[in-house]
Amino acid sequence: MNGRMKKAYDWVDERVHLEDLVKFMGKKYVPVHRHSIWYYFGGVSLFLFIIQVLTGILLLLYYKSGEELAFESIGYIMSKVQFGWLIRSIHSWAANLFILSSMVHMFSVYFEKSYRKPREITWLTGMLMFFLALAFGFSGYLLPWNELAYFATKVGTDIAGVVPIIGKPMMQFLRSGEEVSGATLSRFFGFHVAVFPGIFTVLLGIHLVLVQRQGMSEPIGMELHEGKPLKTMPFFPNFLLRDLLLWLIVLNLLAILAVFFPWELGKKADAFASAPAGIKPEWYFLFMFQTLKYIPGKMLFIDGEVFGIMIFGLAGLLWMLVPFWDLKSSRGQQNRLVNYLGLFAVFYIIILTIVGWLL
Amino acid sequence: MKTLRMLAALITIIVALSGRALSEDQCLTCHAGLGDKESQGYAHDIHKAKGISCAGCHGGNAQADDMDKGMDKAAGFMGVPHGDDISKACASCHSSPEKMKSFGSNLPTNQWEMLQTSVHAKLSTNGNEHIAQCITCHGVHGIVSVKDPRSPVYPLNVVKTCAQCHSNASFMRDYNPAMPVDQVEKYRTSVHGTLNAKGDPKTAECASCHGSHDIRAAKDAKSRVYGVNIPATCSGCHSDAERMKEYKIPTDQFAKFSRSVHGAALLQKHDLGAPACNDCHGNHGAAPPGVESVSKVCGTCHALNADLFSASPHKKAFDDRKLPECETCHGNHEIVAATDKLLGVSNDAVCSKCHRPDENPKGYAVAKTMKSLIDSLETASDTAASIVNDAEQKGMEVSEARFKLRDAHQARLQSRTAVHSFDEQKFRDVVSGGIAVAAVVAKEGKTAVDEYYFRRWGLGIATLIISLVLVSLYFTIRRIERRQAEK
Repeated sequence: MNGRMKKAYDWVDERVHLEDLVKFMGKKYVPVHRHSIWYYFGGVSLFLFIIQVLTGILLLLYYKSGEELAFESIGYIMSKVQFGWLIRSIHSWAANLFILSSMVHMFSVYFEKSYRKPREITWLTGMLMFFLALAFGFSGYLLPWNELAYFATKVGTDIAGVVPIIGKPMMQFLRSGEEVSGATLSRFFGFHVAVFPGIFTVLLGIHLVLVQRQGMSEPIGMELHEGKPLKTMPFFPNFLLRDLLLWLIVLNLLAILAVFFPWELGKKADAFASAPAGIKPEWYFLFMFQTLKYIPGKMLFIDGEVFGIMIFGLAGLLWMLVPFWDLKSSRGQQNRLVNYLGLFAVFYIIILTIVGWLL
Repeated sequence: MKTLRMLAALITIIVALSGRALSEDQCLTCHAGLGDKESQGYAHDIHKAKGISCAGCHGGNAQADDMDKGMDKAAGFMGVPHGDDISKACASCHSSPEKMKSFGSNLPTNQWEMLQTSVHAKLSTNGNEHIAQCITCHGVHGIVSVKDPRSPVYPLNVVKTCAQCHSNASFMRDYNPAMPVDQVEKYRTSVHGTLNAKGDPKTAECASCHGSHDIRAAKDAKSRVYGVNIPATCSGCHSDAERMKEYKIPTDQFAKFSRSVHGAALLQKHDLGAPACNDCHGNHGAAPPGVESVSKVCGTCHALNADLFSASPHKKAFDDRKLPECETCHGNHEIVAATDKLLGVSNDAVCSKCHRPDENPKGYAVAKTMKSLIDSLETASDTAASIVNDAEQKGMEVSEARFKLRDAHQARLQSRTAVHSFDEQKFRDVVSGGIAVAAVVAKEGKTAVDEYYFRRWGLGIATLIISLVLVSLYFTIRRIERRQAEK
């Protein structure tokens, strides 16, 4: 550290005692083993979330909610606002990469059984954040008020409407009425920029504090390597600099995607127009959408669609509660059933997504 | 023995004579005796000539000399048929090929069937019968062949027959209040009507265009007089060189019309807004438009062009020289899409037909300038469109520029209209407006293309900087870890 930097550091240190934080981070170690690569996806997800917050705030400066203004304001952002096209494209691409990286992070944590005691709360907050990420995606997709978004939201909220008992009121609540309209757009906008970020920030805070407090989990059976404790690396600066390195790569990837594949705006939504052919939801909902298509009209005396939604709901709940039923892992024993279930979920999602994309 | 032979011969003669008397149409024998007009009319009816008795339509026993037996309902007597029973009685023979053949007739046998598709087959106001029966047009008790000049449907009589209903305002009001009733009046002013009145049975009358048994409403797509079908209907006669020979008129109108911009729109695109023969010539009052009225006829659709022309110096010049207005430059039946090539002083241009450097030099100079102006607008508009297309292909957002481009295109259309004023300044104003819009669009398109390259360059530079930072970060990590290992 050169003289000036040292001076500035000392100035801040004198007031907020940075030395303690540096010592804490210096004492924190990250295990090094053949699965260490997966540790980085939590950081990548965090980075993408930060990108979303920053680009989202910039978009907010020009975006106007409302049936008559939303589409036009995005058009304005993309054609008139300096670097507006870049900000909007990065926001859209980063949203997708954020969900992808969160998925990878979730599955890596699942397969390494990092959710086991004492990290149940970290897993739960992570899962809740993942569901919120999907909700961010669903609500944000409607905001440009274009044809695809309009009909995807219509289909999506229709599906929510078939859930027994709470379905209909939930659909009306989401749509702010019987139909997808300007009121739905205002509601989704409110959720997207205020409600969801607020909840997400709280959960993220808890998640990060717990990660720092409890450290990185070591995979079962890898606590010792050839009879010796696992190799580690200091969190600061070694792991953090590696994180930074990956973040820069992701940043560059985002820039390439934004320049070469700018996010299109499409046609303005028209409630009276017929739905365009082959309408599909975003890729992260595609496996569920495709499954619902394959379920017969009646299953076990109940409506096929209701059956599908209930199965997905139950599966999601079981997945979220895995730390509480996978007791073997908590005891440090291998649990092959969890692995098989996880592998099934991964292949199911990949295959159905590809099928849904192609058909 | 001789007496016996004579008696036998007498009996044979009496029996033969009485047999002959019984085979005659006893109905006609009695009714003729009564002197009623039905029997008088039937005396020269074509059906009587074919050996059909009154009972053929009225039923009963025509051979019975006793009135009660002849008009016995048990023998099938129906009296005077009413309503649809009339046409059914006709159809009982006219729809049967076998019966018609037995009378030695080769008339078609689908008239009844065709009548059912006709507008006249709709129910009449009383709701019990169809509007028209066979006898409405062909008459009754005196029906003669349609080729017979006495027939009400003979070409020279058919107009009067149709007019009985169609010129009767109070009758037509009950069925179609919006339908005009002046067709005959108009027809009599037409070339067709005039010749028909002079006794020419070859000229078009009602049935020539509307058909006979299967007449449909003009708005019915199957009607012979539905917009799209009119050219084919007219050409049925007007393209027949043999038929038109005596009238000494050309027969290539339909072929030319089919190649014209109007024909393409009407016959290929089925655009009912495009004119058919009747839109320029009239329908019932069909006649070629007069020289002075050409611009008025074209002006019913091309209103602005016609107005500008009428106010232009060309109006008087054309009238003085007896030149048909629009037709002189655009032609008549074979009007092709007007392009900018019509304007100017080149050999293809129509202006050069009258304006030459040594003859009408002022008009020559104006035509040359106008051509140059319209070419400039075309170049500016095409250049702007090409830049916008390029930007769009590069994925840039140029919807606003594309929208403005429509104004440049609009200016080109307006300039083609403004040319009919033959006023250089008016024309220049329109063209200048278009060129200005095209310049703005080109600038916006170029900005978008520049922005495209700026983005790529920007990405390249950003990638380079990020790569440099990445490399230096990598070496920093290695340096730190080497130091840590040394400790």
